[in-house]
Amino acid sequence: MTADRETPVTPVLDVRDLSVRFRMRGGRDIAAVTDARFSVAPGECLALVGESGCGKSVLASALLGLLPANAETTGSAVLGGDTDLLTAGERTLARTVRGRRIGLVPQSPAAHLTPVRTVRAQLEETLRELTGVRGAAAVRDAAGEAAARASFPADHLDRYPHELSGGLAQRAATALALIGDAPLLLADEPTTGLDRDLVERTVDELRRHTDEGRALLIITHDLAAAERIADRVAVMYAGRIVEIAGSRPFFGAPGPRHPYAKGLLDALPERDFAPIPGMPPELGALPDGCAFAARCTRADARCTDERPAFEDALACHHGLTGRAHSLTKAAADA
Amino acid sequence: MADTALAHPGRTTRRVRVATSVTVVVAVALAVLIVPPLAQLDQQAVDLSNKLHPPSWAHPFGTDDVGRDLLLRCVYGLRVSLLVGLVAALTATVIGTAIGALAGSFGGWPDRVVMRIVDTLSSIPHLLLGIFIVAMFRPGVWPVIISVALTHWISTARIVRSEVLSLRSRPFIDAAVSGGASRVRVIVRHLLPGVLPQAGLAAVLMVPHAMWHESALSFLGLGLPAHQASLGNLVQSARGSLLAGDWWPTLFPGLFLIIPTLALAGLAGAWRDRINPRRKSELML
Amino acid sequence: MLELTRITAGYDRRAPVVRDVFLSVGYGEAVGLLGPSGCGKSTLAKVAALLHRPDAGTMTLDGTVVRGWRHRAPQEQRTAVGVVFQQPRLSADPRLSLRELIAQPLRSTGRRREVPARVAELAPLVGLSEELLERRPHAVSDGQLQRACLARALVLRPGLLICDEMTAMLDASTTAALVAVVETYRAESGAALLAVGHDRVLLERWCDRTVRWGERSVERVPVG
Repeated sequence: MTADRETPVTPVLDVRDLSVRFRMRGGRDIAAVTDARFSVAPGECLALVGESGCGKSVLASALLGLLPANAETTGSAVLGGDTDLLTAGERTLARTVRGRRIGLVPQSPAAHLTPVRTVRAQLEETLRELTGVRGAAAVRDAAGEAAARASFPADHLDRYPHELSGGLAQRAATALALIGDAPLLLADEPTTGLDRDLVERTVDELRRHTDEGRALLIITHDLAAAERIADRVAVMYAGRIVEIAGSRPFFGAPGPRHPYAKGLLDALPERDFAPIPGMPPELGALPDGCAFAARCTRADARCTDERPAFEDALACHHGLTGRAHSLTKAAADA
Repeated sequence: MADTALAHPGRTTRRVRVATSVTVVVAVALAVLIVPPLAQLDQQAVDLSNKLHPPSWAHPFGTDDVGRDLLLRCVYGLRVSLLVGLVAALTATVIGTAIGALAGSFGGWPDRVVMRIVDTLSSIPHLLLGIFIVAMFRPGVWPVIISVALTHWISTARIVRSEVLSLRSRPFIDAAVSGGASRVRVIVRHLLPGVLPQAGLAAVLMVPHAMWHESALSFLGLGLPAHQASLGNLVQSARGSLLAGDWWPTLFPGLFLIIPTLALAGLAGAWRDRINPRRKSELML
Repeated sequence: MLELTRITAGYDRRAPVVRDVFLSVGYGEAVGLLGPSGCGKSTLAKVAALLHRPDAGTMTLDGTVVRGWRHRAPQEQRTAVGVVFQQPRLSADPRLSLRELIAQPLRSTGRRREVPARVAELAPLVGLSEELLERRPHAVSDGQLQRACLARALVLRPGLLICDEMTAMLDASTTAALVAVVETYRAESGAALLAVGHDRVLLERWCDRTVRWGERSVERVPVG
């Protein structure tokens, strides 16, 4: 199993060489995302992991057309085989994409919900906006169904967002995201600040919606959540995707192939609990060679001079090669 | 998103607005600072043979009912009005900031007492309160300044207090307290610098407010003594001639009041755009 | 080092978020306080850091009964406890450079002459370069800012360090790095630690013992 092999089905989202540059005052340029390439198939969950400031949230905003005016994007991000999210205008995105073809599960649900309206009112409004359901009674029933789909308890529907616990607020936000029956769900740090039990419940529910045939792109720095939910993992470092791998080989045997990904996993408290030395480079002043070279124990002259290409789902001069790795994995599985 | 989309066509108009405001403010400042000492002209020069002349080359703004040059009178009047406005706004801002910051950072009963006083004072019309204060003194510049300052600190105190309240609950204030910072240090080093842009904005907006207040008092005959030209005095003394159909003695002082007001408001608006936190979200990392 | 007895605290006397809580941290001991989000453990941490006055209960710090909180606590008592909060963005004064941020407690306590030496000593420990020290919070990442906040908490060499969800927003590597800094400091100074969080795996790995927040109030949990 090569991680990035094309699935026979048309991918729900196909991102090719997506780059985002921020033009700053004083002529500076910030390379927030560079040449990102990945795809998500129906019924599949891809987790985009990396530390804060590595560009993963910028990537999510680029897909939703929510970048500030000083950002420039290149490449393509094709949704459902026909719409390029990067070139589609704001009208198209607002009328046919957000909510209808991409459901957004937000980072802080409490802030995402309107504080002065009940959950039911917000569900009903979204239903009227996104679906053909008409008539007070029909909308009311549909709101109940929408809540049930996200396991939001019916007796809490008439509550205001501040009366909900963090977990219920997250479910209410998920219910809203699911109303448009979008084929792609985009979850941006959906578990930040939640405790472990709640993380697992949130993640399991998202997984359930994926198993119903949706594609899920989850952006997170929580590796445990990624391990629990994802089919494949994309590791981002300093604006680039450095490795894409199947979740089982990545978290299990034989483990990640990129030294950064390995370092990140080893830093977990359940593993070595040892940090990667140093800090990531500035996105405004990236080195010519591999961005990770300065922190990498395996780096040599080639790494500092030449940027490794992203080939066979890996961007590293010294990583284990895909073939050998797959063989090891096949051997381990057998 | 709508914000950023709208920002582009609006940018040029905003620049023009700011440039115009700056030009007017600079022109006004030059006029009141340089003209009186340089031009050795006597604003009080009476020329009874030339009274109530409409605007002409010799007297661009015309003359008043005793033949004094109105342009010169307006410049001197603006000088006095602006002085009153600036000093009063500054005093009111200092009082308001101090009271607002103390009330906000102490909280509890001191806050409640101060805010009740503020509520009570603000329920009395400003002008009435101002008249009451001026009436206690002999007519002059200082009573007017005191009257304006004592009626205008209230809004600043409110603004500063609410800003302080929102800053006070931030963890960085907790961190300062934990690091051993005294009460005074927390206020002076961490709370005040955070509210000064807002207080400064309020101060700039208050200058024209104070000028109008002064003019209103002078117009009612309670402000500056009649011989001291202020814009309010000029309008007041020209009231009679307006009924006779002579428009210039009231129009020009009025314009001198309105144009700097608009310019200062334009500057304040530009400043508000600058300190608006939304502008800082250009880079979303 | 720290003894909290029957602490009741909150923001509304009628509905306290912390009720009748016992908690103790021995000298040099690292205690992890585990609890779900919104259970009141952060409020308890603020009580222990002398930042929030409890409605009832007694607190003993380094053998002295605490008589006042916030500014009513003597400066030596307040500075004996270092605190790191969850959100570095909110815990840093946006106008100060990271260098000034770290130096604030020294300046507050009239020890400004020690600033250059102490900052030069702490910056490499938390992994901040000279160039980063000159930046203001908006120009650094969450992880870098939290490193500065940790340095600020350590600058006065507190005998007790309280970390309230210090690493909740951070990635695995930065988490491990910050925990390593805390442990280096504790090994060298013998300071005690109260780490508050919801990540069981992390706190069990980090601390000598963990205490679990009960349904409505914390019970004393035996060592182990």
